[in-house]
Amino acid sequence: MRHLLDLWNGRKPITKRLAGIGVALAGLGIVLGVLAVDFAGFGKETGLGPSQRLAIAGGVTVLLAGLPLIALGDRPA
Amino acid sequence: MTPDTETHRLHPALLWLQRALTAAALLALGFLVLVYLLYFLSLLRFPFDYDQGEGFELWDSVLLARGDAFYRDNTVFPFYSSNYGPTFRVLLTPLVLLFGPHLWIGRTWSFLMTVGIAVLIGGNVWREVKRPALAALAGMAFLASNTVYHIGPLYRSHTTMVFFGLLAVTLMARIDEVRHRQRTILLALVCMMLAIYTKQLAFDAALAVFVFLFLRKPRESILYGLAFVVAFGLIHLLLNATTGGMWSLNAFGANANPFVTGQAETFTWQWLSLHRVIVLLAALYVVYAVYFDRISVYALYFVAGVIPGILSGKWGAGPNYFMAATAAACIGTGVLLGVIANRLGEQAGRNRPARIGLAAWGVIVPLLFIAQAWFNLHLPLDHPLTRPVARALGIPAEAEGRFRQSYYDTVGYTQLGHLITQQDIAAGWYIVEVLRAVPGPVWSEEAMFPINAGKEVVTNPTQLLNLYNQDRLEMDEMIGMIEREEFGAVVFRARFYPLPVLEAIGQHYRVSEQVEMNGFTYDILLPTP
Repeated sequence: MRHLLDLWNGRKPITKRLAGIGVALAGLGIVLGVLAVDFAGFGKETGLGPSQRLAIAGGVTVLLAGLPLIALGDRPA
Repeated sequence: MTPDTETHRLHPALLWLQRALTAAALLALGFLVLVYLLYFLSLLRFPFDYDQGEGFELWDSVLLARGDAFYRDNTVFPFYSSNYGPTFRVLLTPLVLLFGPHLWIGRTWSFLMTVGIAVLIGGNVWREVKRPALAALAGMAFLASNTVYHIGPLYRSHTTMVFFGLLAVTLMARIDEVRHRQRTILLALVCMMLAIYTKQLAFDAALAVFVFLFLRKPRESILYGLAFVVAFGLIHLLLNATTGGMWSLNAFGANANPFVTGQAETFTWQWLSLHRVIVLLAALYVVYAVYFDRISVYALYFVAGVIPGILSGKWGAGPNYFMAATAAACIGTGVLLGVIANRLGEQAGRNRPARIGLAAWGVIVPLLFIAQAWFNLHLPLDHPLTRPVARALGIPAEAEGRFRQSYYDTVGYTQLGHLITQQDIAAGWYIVEVLRAVPGPVWSEEAMFPINAGKEVVTNPTQLLNLYNQDRLEMDEMIGMIEREEFGAVVFRARFYPLPVLEAIGQHYRVSEQVEMNGFTYDILLPTP
């Protein structure tokens, strides 16, 4: 809690690790979101369409970009 | 290219090679800037739509100058509405009031916007790495881009959007240094609002700015973000209330066309291919900033700028959706190359590999910009200033399959970029004379014919087509007027109209003559006797 307050007040910077977690979660969210949309039946065709595949590829790229950042630890982002 | 403090250790021959290559890079990009200037001057002489849509953007300012709204009900005469944000139109209205309804006003404005973007690019590079030649090359690389060249000097709102977006990014890059931090952030947000209300595509700049602010000061980011969303919403509600909901329908609803993956892929590959040097270097800069330094707003702007480019896969979108990403790529390229040089420069005094690296840098960097200029090559083949260059580069005067024999472009097929001829201007005035001679309003696919004929603009064709495709267009009144032959003439170029409209015109109007202008065939239709 104190750590979050420090971040909120700008006493501590957002770290590479925190940024990495955020980026990786965003990537994961994109992938799961696209799959959820398809699962819910919003897609016009059966299976993943080209736009959905593109979005999943984008999501995986974002996820993979976030992972190395996590390893960079407490350096300011 | 290399500062004096670093040059004294270089062999004179190598120093002169570096200088010669830097001059060659400046010359190569400078030539493309000259071509851009020639194109702009050529367009100033042409009072007709070079790109379908210019006249409609002008007409919005004419309507506003008269005190009329430009977000209107498309179902009632004159069946016209704008489909873009208001900033560009509002900014140009005083000039239209002052000089009259002329395309040169907006073309000059947009051209100056691109010059402003180039100056901002150069300024940002200079600020970050203090290398003037590199800053100049980065700015010129933007003006040399085929896409910037094609769209830059047109009466279109896109360059204004990119300018305000980049201005917001530029201001945000300085918030850790300026004395008036809060004022600077507020100014950046105002620029961003202007950009978003020019075209919604400016969300890339907003994304970059707010993520950057969040990384630096999360609280400021959230509070300013909330204030921004509230201000955006209030303006949106105000526009909706004053236009009876037509703002929402025309600027958002009608633009929601289906995504075409193939088109997005085509434009994305084209952009990557044409800008391969600066895109690759900018991507490396992003890797450097994210993993080896602090994440900069420039890196975020480049990443965010690619998103609208990828969204270019919808009807009506084009390669210009990558313009912000191109600007960001130029900054990323300049900063990355400058950082490398500065790091090498710091160690050159005591480190032989660094000295060799610095010497190689002075040779490689100009070559990279020369290569970028080569990938962006475009030039008229019939202009006395550019014809000798075309000959020297071995571009044949005639080539099978080239869309226009008078113009060469590495893009390949493009409807934009060629210079206007006297015949084009004469053909435009001929069509205007025909429209002046007929009674009543005219139904023209391009706005400049009726504007030059002193008549009202009737219909915004692509807007009608978009709404029709979404089943949101009631056409009884317009088809009734067509059936009663209330329009003195019809002018078609691409026939971007709803099918029932085309059918009604086909039944009640016949092609009277065809006029060639600007490489396209214009059909003039008159009522059937």
